[in-house]
Amino acid sequence: MEDEEIEKMVIAYLKKKGFKQTELALQEEQSKSSFASQTDPDKQILSVTESESGPAQYQDGYSKLRSWTYSSLDLYKHELLRVLYPVFIHCFMDLVAKGHTQEARAFFNSFREDHELMHLRDLQKLEGVLSPSHLEEMEFAHSLRQSKISIKMCQYSYELLVQYLQKSQSITILGIINEHINFEVSPGQPSTISDDADVVTLLGSSQDTSKLINQKEIRWGLLEDSLEERLEKAGALMSDSEKPEGETKEGEVEENKKKSVDGGKQGASVKKLKKDKVVGTTGKSIRSETNIVSMAPRVKPELSLPEIPTEVEHSILEDLRNRVQLGSLALPSVSFYTFINTHNGLNCSSISHDGSLVAGGFSDSSVKVWDMSKIGQQSDTSIMQGENDSASIEHLMGPEDGKRSYTLFQGHAGPVYSVKFSPLGDFILSSSADSTIRLWSTKLNANLVCYKGHNYPVWDVQFSPVGHYFASSSHDRTARIWSMDRIQPLRIMAGHLSDVDCVQWHANCNYIATGSSDKTVRLWDVQSGECVRIFIGHRSMVLSLAMSPDGRYMTSGDEDGMIMMWDLSSGRCVTPLMGHTSCVWTLAFSREGSLLASGSADCTVKLWDVTASTKVARTEENKSGAMNRLRSLKTLPTRSTPVYTLQFSRRNLLFAAGVLSKGV
Amino acid sequence: MSIVPKETIEVIAQSIGINNLSPDVALALAPDVEYRVREIMQEAIKCMRHSKRTTLTADDVDSALSLRNVEPIYGFASGDPLRFKRAVGHKDLFYIDDKDVEFKDVIDAPLPKAPLDTAVVAHWLAIEGVQPAIPENAPVEALVAPSDNKKPEHKEDGLPVDIKLPVKHVLSRELQLYFDKITELTVNKSDSVLFKEALQSLATDSGLHPLVPYFTYFVADEVTRGLNDFSLLFALMRVVRSLLQNPHIHIEPYLHQLMPSVITCLVAKRLGNRFSDNHWELRNFTADLVASICKRFGHVYHNLQPRVTRTLLHAFLDPTKALTQHYGAIQGLAALGPSVRLLLLPNLEPYLQLLEPEILLEKQKNEMKRHEAWRVYGALQCAAGKCMYDRLKMFPGLLAPPARAVSRTNGRVIMTTPNKRKAGKDDMMQQPPVKKIATDGPMGIVPPISLPANMQGTVDGFPAASGQSNLGPSSSVQVTNDSISGSSGKREDDGRAAKMLTVLSQAWKEDVDAGHLLASLFELFGESMFSFTPRPELSFFL
Repeated sequence: MEDEEIEKMVIAYLKKKGFKQTELALQEEQSKSSFASQTDPDKQILSVTESESGPAQYQDGYSKLRSWTYSSLDLYKHELLRVLYPVFIHCFMDLVAKGHTQEARAFFNSFREDHELMHLRDLQKLEGVLSPSHLEEMEFAHSLRQSKISIKMCQYSYELLVQYLQKSQSITILGIINEHINFEVSPGQPSTISDDADVVTLLGSSQDTSKLINQKEIRWGLLEDSLEERLEKAGALMSDSEKPEGETKEGEVEENKKKSVDGGKQGASVKKLKKDKVVGTTGKSIRSETNIVSMAPRVKPELSLPEIPTEVEHSILEDLRNRVQLGSLALPSVSFYTFINTHNGLNCSSISHDGSLVAGGFSDSSVKVWDMSKIGQQSDTSIMQGENDSASIEHLMGPEDGKRSYTLFQGHAGPVYSVKFSPLGDFILSSSADSTIRLWSTKLNANLVCYKGHNYPVWDVQFSPVGHYFASSSHDRTARIWSMDRIQPLRIMAGHLSDVDCVQWHANCNYIATGSSDKTVRLWDVQSGECVRIFIGHRSMVLSLAMSPDGRYMTSGDEDGMIMMWDLSSGRCVTPLMGHTSCVWTLAFSREGSLLASGSADCTVKLWDVTASTKVARTEENKSGAMNRLRSLKTLPTRSTPVYTLQFSRRNLLFAAGVLSKGV
Repeated sequence: MSIVPKETIEVIAQSIGINNLSPDVALALAPDVEYRVREIMQEAIKCMRHSKRTTLTADDVDSALSLRNVEPIYGFASGDPLRFKRAVGHKDLFYIDDKDVEFKDVIDAPLPKAPLDTAVVAHWLAIEGVQPAIPENAPVEALVAPSDNKKPEHKEDGLPVDIKLPVKHVLSRELQLYFDKITELTVNKSDSVLFKEALQSLATDSGLHPLVPYFTYFVADEVTRGLNDFSLLFALMRVVRSLLQNPHIHIEPYLHQLMPSVITCLVAKRLGNRFSDNHWELRNFTADLVASICKRFGHVYHNLQPRVTRTLLHAFLDPTKALTQHYGAIQGLAALGPSVRLLLLPNLEPYLQLLEPEILLEKQKNEMKRHEAWRVYGALQCAAGKCMYDRLKMFPGLLAPPARAVSRTNGRVIMTTPNKRKAGKDDMMQQPPVKKIATDGPMGIVPPISLPANMQGTVDGFPAASGQSNLGPSSSVQVTNDSISGSSGKREDDGRAAKMLTVLSQAWKEDVDAGHLLASLFELFGESMFSFTPRPELSFFL
């Protein structure tokens, strides 16, 4: 008792003084020591196991454990229930590994229903495993058997479980629990049920590593010297040219060094680099503390960014001035582009930032681009326009067909899975099942570059917010970073356990996020190529990602219609958004970040209020960590048109695109 | 055990020429086959997701196979998902219906149309968060305000609405095309599947409002021109019904233009020019249509129902009109509801008298005419039956006195009072199930053998009918007093449309009337009337 009191006092003292690191270290030490003491009895029991284990023992042991768990105290039941699933799958895999195929199947079918609600997809994968060689071959099963699963439970639940296991003498089950489950025993009350999410996904690597990864520092702020900032400044004082560019971080010096090395390597414009340096040095002035009250912190770009032409800059500034402020009361206007007569061939679509161009990628390996402004004109004034246009369009039209309303880009040798416009709309990237990425110019209407590097179909490709760089994700389980002027990738991000299905850039270009079929979302540092965050919580394949414009949040949508909003700095889920009933194909934040739009295969566009929820979440996170539901503002049903793409224009007009499908 | 049985493996082995496969090998292969199939399906589902689809196609499986470096399976390339059929007698066995195609048919068939090229069309899904009611959008649940349709235009140009310019009505190109298509379908292909879908679209689509005046004009025009084109008329009436069903259309202002054409289709002398045209069906359909219009818009147009009723009554009571017109009028009146139906009753007897020579074989030699007369008779009977049924429904317990009246006990007022009180309390409480026989048409009807002799031949119906005393003359002669008051009471009632429940004295008269009614109707129509009578009452009555 005395020891504890002393410890408490020490901790209180450390807190008071603000020695956080020390405090953490102390706590870690403590937990380790307590853990060691708790696992001791288990070790003794472990020695007894493995004496006799017929196939019947598994069935018997599991069903006993199950009935015991279901009849346990309500307060601790949900914690104990968590143990069942890992025991179940490991029992099954053990049976398979020992060659009792028939018993394994019988066992699996008899208890399958218990876990279907939470783990349907994993079960479907495992169902097919029927021989020991399959276990070896299938990464999912393999990684499961290699790793330990962490389960959090309170002291009392743990004691209950240990007692039961000792009493019941079911050595097989005990063996499995010892081998594959890592208990994190926490003193005090049992946790709330809503925390279950952490336990659901079984990760290849143990969960500790993901936790370690998520403790890395992340600079999620916006780029300094962005146009938005420039606009604000123009509104304020113009005189002070030496004005600081925003908050500067401690690590900036190193960053600058890195960048200069990097910049030389990239061979990007030297002028820009210089400018950055100048900014970096001047930005060090003391006044930086003044204007960061509510603003996101500013960070330096790790990549050398391309320069924006002045006329484009002017148009962007113009757009920014005319931007509509959206919110829960001011909902956006939505312009919907419907693809008709696609004959089930359209795989993906993209809309340029101003909505004037619409591109579609087709399963017949073509990319088609529609100029919406031209289509409008033709219907208004037919003949006059037609004559003028004919000269310019002629070369785009196929020889056999004179009346095409679109520009046809041919070059790929497999279904096109992703098309994206560059931020300025002058380039298009397309990725295809032929494992290549192609760059097209909308001005020249020609293919410029073919990027080869992936070995399998490239599922997604995405331009960085400033252009020039782009990221791709593929069936080969990697994501890659490219620049337009190199045909080799600059970085390869490897780590996902299954296909990388979607990719998205962070607003400050320093990070990319990838969503995968292994049900996780990862955040990667573009400069180092390291994984800096793992977001666990989805229950099925992640299909879409979006980053908030202030760089603080990320949303991801999955196959089941669930959308999750993540806090990048903490790596935790802010809110799960329920509402869609089918795949969420696309997500988009409004330009100032107050609204989130989601488009789904259930033929709706939903608008969510981001500001309200995040504020509440931020305040409440500290208190109880309770989950808040993000508020759904509006559901806009389309006419049997699944929504493929959503895009906010710079003035906050929402563009959406989808295919009219009869059968839905 | 694997879901793939070892027999399957053996069959497959045989199909590729391995005849002596040992059972052990098959048994070992089966689980592996299952695993591979699952693996391929997992990849195929990934391909499906990345093609942004929710149905798996043969192409997805092909892509999955090529991902695994396996030769794809040829012969299944199709853009649409395959349609599986369930094998009869098996729970989980499906197959693709592969029909035999006659070679000759393929050669003789005209070349299919070239598929339309992919295109993109734009529309507003929402304007400042509000979905405009245009055909491109999914139909909204209900129209918030009738002017909803015009909102988008106002918001778009941001002009205040109060500037009243001379309205220049502009129809969009799409709406014009839509109108042309629909009218063409109505005129030419009203029996096609397409027309059914067109009707469906008319009944559900939002944003058709600008077309309503054009449709009303179209209907009116076609009805006047095409009175002897039966199918056209039927199609037009269906169009009208669809328009009425559409919740997004504000059709009231156009009703006065629509009604004449609809009424025409009900009581016109001739509809269609061939004998085979089943114009009776059209009249029935239109009668329902009229009734639904009156029900729905009666509160908006106060004089709508009276006007319709008057028109129909005139048609009914004019002996110079053709029998077909009478039929339409009767059907129309009958469909309009209990209170209107009663208007038929006072004129039943004289009318039947009029009808009698037409019905009887020896008097009317013209087969066609006789058929028509039978039809009218059937309709009348049906209407009268319904009338009585309504009455009985209102006073379920009150059959005793009239029953006695029938059995010549001269049922008097005093005896019925307790009964009546009870009925006043629990009227409408339990309504016995109806057994309704289709009495439409001449079959199955026992023709009246002798019509009551003391019938007065008052031909001119309604206005003059107030003095008529022979409504309930059934069997007792001295009942006249009662029946006069009864019939007059009833008439008051009709005038005031169903207020009888409140006034007790009138209700009492009603009771008597109901009993007499049954009796008299029995007299008029014979036993077929019983099919309209709820069973318990019937047994009581007998």
